[in-house]
Amino acid sequence: MIPFDFEYYLPGSVEHAIQQFQNLDQQGKNPMYYGGGTEIISMARMANISTGAVIDIKDIPQCKVLEFQEDHLVIGAGVTLTQIHESNLYPLLAQAGARVADHTIQNKITLGGNLCGTIIYREAVLPLLLADSEVVLAGPVGCKTLPINQIFKERMQLNKGEFIVQVRTLQSFLSCPYVHVKRTKEDKIHYPLLTICAIQVGNQVRTAFSGVCDFPFRSQEMESELNNSSLTVEQRVDNAITITPGLIPSNLEGSAGYRKFILRNLLISILYTLEA
Amino acid sequence: MEFLSIGKDVIRKDAWEKVTGRATYSADVSSPGILHGVLVTSTCAHGKIKSIDYVEASNMPGVKAVLTGDYYPILTGSVLEDHPPLAAGKVRYYGEPVAIVVARSEAEASAAATRIKVYYEKLPTVDSPSAAIKPDSPLVHEHLDQYKKAIPEVYPEANSNIVHLVKIRKGDMNQGWMDSDITVEGTYSLPYADHIAMETRSARAEILPDEQIVIHTSSQSPFAVRKLISQNFGVDLGKVVVHVPLVGGGYGGKAAVQLEYLAVMASQAVGGQPVMITNTREQDMAGSPSKLALEAIVKLGAKKNGTLTAGEYTFIVGTGAYADSGPRMTNSMAMSCTGPYKLDNVWCDAYCVYTNHTYATSFRGFGHTSCTFAVERTMDKLAALLNIDPLELRRKNAITPGETTPTQVVLTPSNLGDVPACLDKLKMLINWDEGVCIDMGNSRIRAKGVACLWKTSNSPTDAFASAVVTFNSDGSANLQVGAVEIGPSTRTTLAQILAERLRLDIDRIHIDMEVNTRTSPHDWKTVASMSTFLVGRAVEEAANDAIRQILSLAAMAIRCSPEDLALDSGRVYVKDNPNFYVDYATIVHGFKYPNGNTVGSQVIGRGTYVMPHLSPMDRETGKGKPGPYLTPGAQAVEIELNTADYTYRILKAATVLDAGKVLNPKSARGLVMGAMGMGLGLGSRESFIYDQQQELQNTSLRTYKVLRIGEQPEYLVNWVETPNAIGPYGARGLAEHGIIGIHAALVNALSRAAGVELDQVPVIPELIWEKIEESKP
Repeated sequence: MIPFDFEYYLPGSVEHAIQQFQNLDQQGKNPMYYGGGTEIISMARMANISTGAVIDIKDIPQCKVLEFQEDHLVIGAGVTLTQIHESNLYPLLAQAGARVADHTIQNKITLGGNLCGTIIYREAVLPLLLADSEVVLAGPVGCKTLPINQIFKERMQLNKGEFIVQVRTLQSFLSCPYVHVKRTKEDKIHYPLLTICAIQVGNQVRTAFSGVCDFPFRSQEMESELNNSSLTVEQRVDNAITITPGLIPSNLEGSAGYRKFILRNLLISILYTLEA
Repeated sequence: MEFLSIGKDVIRKDAWEKVTGRATYSADVSSPGILHGVLVTSTCAHGKIKSIDYVEASNMPGVKAVLTGDYYPILTGSVLEDHPPLAAGKVRYYGEPVAIVVARSEAEASAAATRIKVYYEKLPTVDSPSAAIKPDSPLVHEHLDQYKKAIPEVYPEANSNIVHLVKIRKGDMNQGWMDSDITVEGTYSLPYADHIAMETRSARAEILPDEQIVIHTSSQSPFAVRKLISQNFGVDLGKVVVHVPLVGGGYGGKAAVQLEYLAVMASQAVGGQPVMITNTREQDMAGSPSKLALEAIVKLGAKKNGTLTAGEYTFIVGTGAYADSGPRMTNSMAMSCTGPYKLDNVWCDAYCVYTNHTYATSFRGFGHTSCTFAVERTMDKLAALLNIDPLELRRKNAITPGETTPTQVVLTPSNLGDVPACLDKLKMLINWDEGVCIDMGNSRIRAKGVACLWKTSNSPTDAFASAVVTFNSDGSANLQVGAVEIGPSTRTTLAQILAERLRLDIDRIHIDMEVNTRTSPHDWKTVASMSTFLVGRAVEEAANDAIRQILSLAAMAIRCSPEDLALDSGRVYVKDNPNFYVDYATIVHGFKYPNGNTVGSQVIGRGTYVMPHLSPMDRETGKGKPGPYLTPGAQAVEIELNTADYTYRILKAATVLDAGKVLNPKSARGLVMGAMGMGLGLGSRESFIYDQQQELQNTSLRTYKVLRIGEQPEYLVNWVETPNAIGPYGARGLAEHGIIGIHAALVNALSRAAGVELDQVPVIPELIWEKIEESKP
C-alpha cells in the first residue's frame, strides 16, 4: 500500500502538462511526470519516494505516436514497450524492450519511463544511442530537440519541469544489421548481468552497454578499439574492455570478474557475427 | 469390491471457489471497525535498541496506539522460550519486528510507521553456522541457560550459540572404518532461504468483553495457536477461538506462531478492538520465519565393491536468531542422516545454532531437504572414486526390511517401502541407460544426476487427530476435521476416504474449508505430510462408528441381524439379496415404521487416532522411534550445460515415490511436481543474500528469484505401491517428499557436466565459472 495520498492529473496537451507541473511545484507538491508508473508505484509503496501529485503524460497526443514521419520513426514517450515490440518498426529496440522485466510489466513501462527511470539499467536507451536518435523535450521554456548522445550522459539530463515527448530515429538506422544479447545472473526475467546492443553501420560496429558499469553507455573510445582492423578480434575486445567508462561493478547480479568473462565472450561473438 | 473414490482423480472440493476467485483467505475478510496494525522492523542485524522515538507517529491522523517491546514483554517458543514477539532491548536479525502501529486504516498505519525512528548500537554479528560454534563467537543470546524449555528434549549450552545437540551412535565406527577400503569426505553449505507461499501471512485478533480471544489467521496449526495464545496471555484455553480459512500455501512456514501474538497484543492495546496485521511480501520474507541454513561434513567408508561400511555426519544447522522448530529439524536430520542406505556403523553430531539471520521454522522436508544434499553429493563422490555407476551404487546399498534406521528402528516392508523398486522405476523413467553425460557438440553437455530420499515425521509422541461425521436426512454426510486446507487437497482426500468407507459417491460427502478450534475436532497440526495418515485414520474410525449405527438401524428396518447386511452406493442391503435394501436417507435420521413409531435419530460417527508407538530419541545414542513409517523415493534430473558461459537449462526432473497406495493420482502428481519445482528453485537460484553486516540484500521478489513458468522442466512422476499396513488404504504421506532429493540430483548432474565438484546451492552460472577458474592450475 502506498502510505501517502497524492493527486493524479491527466493533461491533454504538452502545454497543459507543463503548466500543471509549474502550478503544483509552486504549491510545494513535488510533482512527478508519470508514464507507466511501475517505478513510482513500487518505490512509493516502499516509502522510497514521496510525491503530492503525478502528471500522467499518456493522454498527450504527441506522446502516443508510433509512426513514420517523413524519414524518421517517431515514438511517443507514452508508448509502451509492448507496443514497440508488437509494431516491430525498430527491431533492435523491439527486442531490447521485450527483455526489460516481464510481459505484464512491459504492458505498462513506457519508452519515456524507461529512459528516465532510477533503476540503473535503462536498457531501452541502448538502441537509441546506437542510432543517434533525437529526443524531443518539453519544458517551461518550450520544446527542443537534442541528440540523445548529448542529453543522455549516464542518465537523462533533464531540467526541472522537463519531460520527454518523443524520440525520433532516422529510418536508415532501423535496418542496420544488429545484435542484441542479454545475460542475467540466471533467470530469463531479471536485471541484466549485462546487456549489449550492437549495430553495423557501413563497416563500423557500434556498441552500447547496460550492466557493464553503473549506468548504460555507448563509448567512442571502446568503439574505435573494436573497429581497429589491424588487430585480431580477440585483441580488439581485450583492448576495449580495459577502457570501460566506469568501474565494472560487483553487485547482487554478479561479480566484476564474472561480468568481464561474459563481456569478453559476448563481444568476441558479436564481432564475429557482424563481420561475417 | 471395486474402489468408488480411492485411486480416482477426484476433483478437489475447493476447485470451483478457487478457479472462480471466490475463495477467501485470512486477509480477504474485513469488517466495520477493524483496525490495522503495521510493523516497524529492524534495519540492523544485531544491535542494542538505544531508543525508539514514536512521538510523531503517535500524533499522526488515525493512529490509535504504538506498541514496542516493553508493552507486553513475554518470551515465546514451541521448543525453547527464547523469543520476544516484539524485540526487547536488542534486535537479533534484520527484519525483526520492533514496533507496531495500530491505526484506523492500513494507509494511516503505514504512514505513521515510516515516522518511527529506532536508534541502534550495532553489535558484532554471527555470520554463519560454523562461525556460531567458534569459542570466541559473539553471542546471539547472552542468557541461553535461563530460558524455559517448552519440551524436555532440548539441550541448550550456556554461554554459547548452541541451542541443541543431537547425537546418533549406532554400531562400531572403528570396525566400520577398518572394514572400509576407501573413504570419501565432502563439506557442504546450504544458505537460508524462504518459503515464498503465494499468500503472505495475516492474522487478526480481537478480545471480547468476556475476555474471549478470537483469532483469524493463515496458519497450519490452529490448535497450537490456541494453546500458545492461552499460555502466553493467561486466558483459559477454551476462551481462545482460532479460525483458519483456506491457506494460500504454507510449506511449513505457517506452522510457526508469530503474527498471532502481535495481533493479540495490538488488540489489547486498543481495548480489545479487532486488529489485523498482514505482512507485505518484503516483511513476509525478512521478518517472518524462513528456511534453515546448513553446513555439513559427510564422511563415508566403503569396500571396493561399493558396500558402505561407515558413515560419519556432522551437521551445523543455522536456526537464525531464534530456536522456533530448529531443534526439532536438527533431530530430524540426525534421525535420517544416512539416507535410505544400509549402514551398520553410524556416527552423527547435529548442532542447532543461532546466527544473526531471520529465524528458521519448518520448511517442506523438515530438514531432510538440506541433509539429503550433503549425503547424496557424497554418494556421487564415492561412485566416482570407485568408478561405479552412481545409480548402481545406490541400488547396491539400498536399505531393505530387516535392517535398522539410524535410530535403530527395525524395518519392515510396511514401515519402509521398497527403495530398490523406486530406483529401478526411476532408471527407466529418466532413461538412465542412454548415458549420464553426453557431449551434444556446440559447447553443450547433457548430464543426469540421481538422488535417493526417505522421510518420516518427527512429531510429539502423543500427536493425534479426530474426526466427526454427521448425516443429513438425504443420506449424504458431513465431515468435520481439524486439518487445514493449505493447498495439497488434504480435505478432499479425507472426504475420499470417508466416501470409500461409507460407500457413498464423493459428491455426497460435504466438507467445509474452514477450521474453527471450537467446533472442529482436534488435529495436531497440518504438517509433516501426516494429515492423510493421522486424520485419515481418524476418519476411518469415525466412518466405522457411523457404519455400526447404520447397520444397527438398518437391521431394525429390514428385520435381520446387522451381520447379514452390507453397504454400497448409499444403501444397506441384505448380503444374499442385494435387491432387498434400505437407502441411507431412510435410516440416518432414524427409521420410521409405517405406524409412525421411530427408532434412532441422527447418525453421528466419531473417530480419533494417535501416533502409534512413538518414543523420543535418546540423548546419547539417538535411539528411539520418531515417526510411524517412512516414505522412500528416488529422484533424477537431466540438465544441459553451455560450457561457453556456464548457463544451463533443466530439461527433466523425475521422481518415483513409494506411496503405499496413491489415493488421488492427479493431486498426488501435482504435489510431487510442485515439490520438485520448489527444490529446483532452491538448487538453482533461491537464497537469502546478506551483506557484511548481515543485513538482508534481496528483500523482494525482484532480486529473490523463484522458478517461473517458462523455466520449469518436463516433470516425470511415477509410483511404487508397497502397502503401509497402518495407513488408510495402505497410503503413505507424500506431500513433502518430492523436494527432498531433487536439488541433490540437480547438482549431481551439474557437477558431472561441469567436471568440478559443486558442494553448495544455489548453483548459479557464476558459481560454476568460479569453481572452474579455481580448478585451473
